[in-house]
Amino acid sequence: MTDRVPRRTTLQKLLSRFHFGITLFAVALSGITILLAGITAMRGYADRNIELAAQLGAYGVEPALVFNDPQAAREGLKPLMKIPGIAHLRVLDDRGHPLVEWRSPIEDPAPVLTRIFFPEPFAMTVRRNGSAIGTIEVWGDSTTLTDYVRIGMLAGLACLLITALGTIALARRFEYELVKPLNEIATVAHDVRLHRRFDKRVTSLSIAELDRLGGDINALLDELEGWQGHMEDERAVLAHRAAHDPLTTMPNRSAFDEQLKCRLEAAAQQHHRFALLFIDVDNFKAVNDGFGHAAGDAVLVAMATQIKAVLRSGDFAARIGGDEFVVIIDPIDPTVLPAALVERIRASVAEPIALPGGQHHGTAISVGAALYPDDGRDAAALLTAADAAMYADKLRHRS
Amino acid sequence: MLASLFLIGAVFATPQMSVQAASQTIVENSSDGMTRAVNRMLGGIITYVRWPDGRAAAPRTMCLVGTPRLTASIAPDIPGERRVIVRRTTAGGAMTGGGCDILFLGRMPGDERRRLIEWVRGEPTLTITDDDPACRTGAMFCLARKPAGLSFSVNLDAIGRGPLRVDPRVLKIGGADGGAS
Repeated sequence: MTDRVPRRTTLQKLLSRFHFGITLFAVALSGITILLAGITAMRGYADRNIELAAQLGAYGVEPALVFNDPQAAREGLKPLMKIPGIAHLRVLDDRGHPLVEWRSPIEDPAPVLTRIFFPEPFAMTVRRNGSAIGTIEVWGDSTTLTDYVRIGMLAGLACLLITALGTIALARRFEYELVKPLNEIATVAHDVRLHRRFDKRVTSLSIAELDRLGGDINALLDELEGWQGHMEDERAVLAHRAAHDPLTTMPNRSAFDEQLKCRLEAAAQQHHRFALLFIDVDNFKAVNDGFGHAAGDAVLVAMATQIKAVLRSGDFAARIGGDEFVVIIDPIDPTVLPAALVERIRASVAEPIALPGGQHHGTAISVGAALYPDDGRDAAALLTAADAAMYADKLRHRS
Repeated sequence: MLASLFLIGAVFATPQMSVQAASQTIVENSSDGMTRAVNRMLGGIITYVRWPDGRAAAPRTMCLVGTPRLTASIAPDIPGERRVIVRRTTAGGAMTGGGCDILFLGRMPGDERRRLIEWVRGEPTLTITDDDPACRTGAMFCLARKPAGLSFSVNLDAIGRGPLRVDPRVLKIGGADGGAS
């Protein structure tokens, strides 16, 4: 067996089909009812018509029957011959012999209808002074009925058309009223799912049930928006944590690598220079050993604070190891020498640092500088150059 | 069998038969066929006539003057209860004796007929004759033998002068609308 894919249809189409079906049914039912009622009434009128014709005929042929005069009988029947719906006339005398007979020259439009509605002739006894002198027989035909049925059918068809159009218009209106709010809800849901527009809300709707649905969706969106905000905060915290050193709150090694890569690309494109400073605290191990790790941490935090204090807005500083800091001075004035930069940093950290135990510690640092593009064109070359310069500086301090 | 059947056949064969000036009663092909036809026609005419006394069912007296030409035994054949008494009389008898509701004029001298007609004008008396096929001598109804049977014609002038009322359908059959015949 093959998989049957369910055929999808729109609500509007469904409602339209449904409405049309109901309308068609109702109109057809009422039309048929009216037509049948009309035919019944018409049949009554036709019967009455034939009866009246027979009475008229009986009056007209009465003297002819008295005088046994076929020509006069024919004259007496003349008015009946002009009445529509009469197919056949016959006058019998008192002994049952036909005196005169007439058939309509107009052909019966619907012999079946005639057979159904006028199977028997209407017979009326003609009396003179109380005694029967003959009989007149009148056969009806379907002329009047077919006219009615034809006009009725046409009128019914026209009514059907008008009613169908009217109901379709009404159904359209109803569908619009129903489908519009549904579409609104769908649009909001779609926007939220596809574009993460958690601020979107369903507006107030005129249909109570749909309005409740919209309200529930809005409440759900409120919750989603709350979760979304919370998650974004968490993520920001995590991202900050991943890129920063928790002690000094300076960017860490990985953040520095990323930053250096960006600065290199920008400098290569714009052909400007920048400097990379490598800073190392002298005798940091001795501070740790002599005053404890808390004192070491205090020295690092103080260092970080002081380094940050001298940075300009475009510069970048990071702690990349235990007591190692790097600073990117970007952009750099072409006239400034690396040595001047080093001295500026060194001067900024010259103040003694207050330790947790109440003592003060005068910290010395070794600083090495490398210039892009003079000392290297990639991260490794720059770092190596700066590192080498820093070691040279450290050796100078020891000697 | 009956001549009537032939006649009916003729009517059917020629549906647009020209309108005749007068009635055309079928006469049966037997020995007393004409007698019966005459009496039936007389009875028919009498039933369609109203006398001013208003008594519809009253017996009427028919005074027979002269010699009837179509049949010797005049006895109007009236369906139902109504009766007609036939009395033979002379012109003088009819005028002086009175009591004649119907006057049947057979063959008689012309001046006698004229006097009778003069006298009857204004009287509530129905006049029928079988001796005036053209119906010009003043009788109200005139019976005549025709090739196809027996017929009668009407003298509207005579009916209009008298106080009798005749059913218009009979006047129509009698060809009154075809002119004074």
